[in-house]
Amino acid sequence: MNKQTPLIQIKNLDLHFGAFHALKNVSVDFHAGELVGLVGDNGAGKTTLIRVLCGIHTPSAGEVYFDGTRVKTFHPKLAIDQGIETIQQSVGLCDNLSIARNFYLGREPVKRFCGLPLLDFAKMREMSGRVIRQFGLRENVSVDDEVERLSGGERQSVKIGRAVEFKNRVVIMDEPTNHLSVREREHVNELALQLRDQGLLVIYITHDIFQVHRLADRIVIMENGEKIEDASTETMSAEALEEVIRQGGRIVEKRDAV
Amino acid sequence: MFFPTSLSRGAGFGAVVGVALMLSVFTVIDFGGWWTVQTVTNVLHFASILGLIAMGQALVIMSKEIDLSVGSVYGLAGVAFITLQPDLGVPGAIVAALLISALIGFLQAMAVLKGALPSMIVTLGGLFTVRGIIYVWTGGSVRAFPEEARSHWITRMLGGEFLGLEASLFWLLVLLAILSVLLWRTKFGNHLLAAGGDLDSAKSQGVQTDRTKTIAFVTCSLLAGFAGIVTLADRPQTHVTLGELLELEAIAAAVIGGCLLSGGRGSLLGAVLGALIVVSFRYELIALGAPSSWFMTFVGIVLIVAVIFNQKLARAAGHSL
Repeated sequence: MNKQTPLIQIKNLDLHFGAFHALKNVSVDFHAGELVGLVGDNGAGKTTLIRVLCGIHTPSAGEVYFDGTRVKTFHPKLAIDQGIETIQQSVGLCDNLSIARNFYLGREPVKRFCGLPLLDFAKMREMSGRVIRQFGLRENVSVDDEVERLSGGERQSVKIGRAVEFKNRVVIMDEPTNHLSVREREHVNELALQLRDQGLLVIYITHDIFQVHRLADRIVIMENGEKIEDASTETMSAEALEEVIRQGGRIVEKRDAV
Repeated sequence: MFFPTSLSRGAGFGAVVGVALMLSVFTVIDFGGWWTVQTVTNVLHFASILGLIAMGQALVIMSKEIDLSVGSVYGLAGVAFITLQPDLGVPGAIVAALLISALIGFLQAMAVLKGALPSMIVTLGGLFTVRGIIYVWTGGSVRAFPEEARSHWITRMLGGEFLGLEASLFWLLVLLAILSVLLWRTKFGNHLLAAGGDLDSAKSQGVQTDRTKTIAFVTCSLLAGFAGIVTLADRPQTHVTLGELLELEAIAAAVIGGCLLSGGRGSLLGAVLGALIVVSFRYELIALGAPSSWFMTFVGIVLIVAVIFNQKLARAAGHSL
């Protein structure tokens, strides 16, 4: 699997926010059909790295390749057009809009009416309705309801449903099971595996090494803006990886010294 | 479809109640004075002009920005229309006045979006700058149309009566319908509401929020400029104070109509009804013989009552502010 061209290849990536050095010489490959756990403490640079991939931040130095082609312009719209969907903790849904409007935000289907491109509400309602039921939203929630009325788990379900529906190549899940009940969490995790089995690249960001170790093919650990570990889950146990996180990468140096 | 949608969202519903309440009170206290052709015609004309500006303001407020320059843009477009007419003719002067308005909106949008500056400050600067241009351009003098420009068919279509209606009311209704479709039934509208409601989420879904907000600013300036042209087509005489304080009345109208300054929610119909409330109060107070200076106080009270009411309404509908 890992011998083919990586779907996403990051080489020597650096990112500065003014004087703050957020990402330091990060190099990592991601392959299609792979579920990669991206783990690290708060402020380790996980989310920052992901924000480069989904076009929000432009790197200060280094290269990013998508499907073998060098990415020159970083913009969220371009990332979405290439099939990179991100499910973030607090971002992605507008509280003031209905579920149907949120579901299609930025990709609204239109129907010509007297030559005018008007929103195709029938399609928006039908498709989003089908998907949110599949993802276990309450029967009394209508697709015309504003997202503000949804619980945390239901919001996550809408975002994941959206990512699944639009046949993406890369789904990045940023702490996808926060605020979810146990059953919802299992559901989301099953879904992540399902996406991988369909040949998508799934990048799963979490604090919880034990949770993601059960799912992932590979774990990448970040600390202080650096990649400190990149290991297959077959070769390293969750306990060993947890130790790496606890030591903040120092164990790696020790291991190298030995 | 779009009216029920916007009404069911709560926004704008308060203004409908407000108008009904206001008309009931005026009917009871001053039936003979209020329901005359003269009063109704005048109120509708001035409410239409304020309504045009308030709709633009509502769009900008829904995108979570504000435009304080509309009164000055209204004045400058009027001055440009009258002053350029001898050289460009009536159609040319209208096009030039609208282009000037659009340009002001565009420049302000660039300063706000590319310069990452608060729109309140940028458009406050716009308010003073544009008013200054009016003073310099007119030299403080009053200007008026010659007879042939007054009787030009376009001037009459904008300013006189049209299909049995006050022309201004006709234009207001046409633009209200077009803009409501634009806001509630197009991609652009969805992007505008998303950008106003949650900018980061809109961006994360690939919405080009800067472009969307720029269109909102330009549309707002265009509507203010168009309102200035319509005003002067009806009474073709300019003075340097044309449109002063109109920005505050337009904001008041939009807010009375249910637009929340927190962005993402509002109603164009509500903004128009808000304009009707503001203008009606001015007329009725004068008609009742109250000193004209009381008008400001009353608008202030109506504004505060409306905000409290709209807030309760939004809470009842399950919205937070």
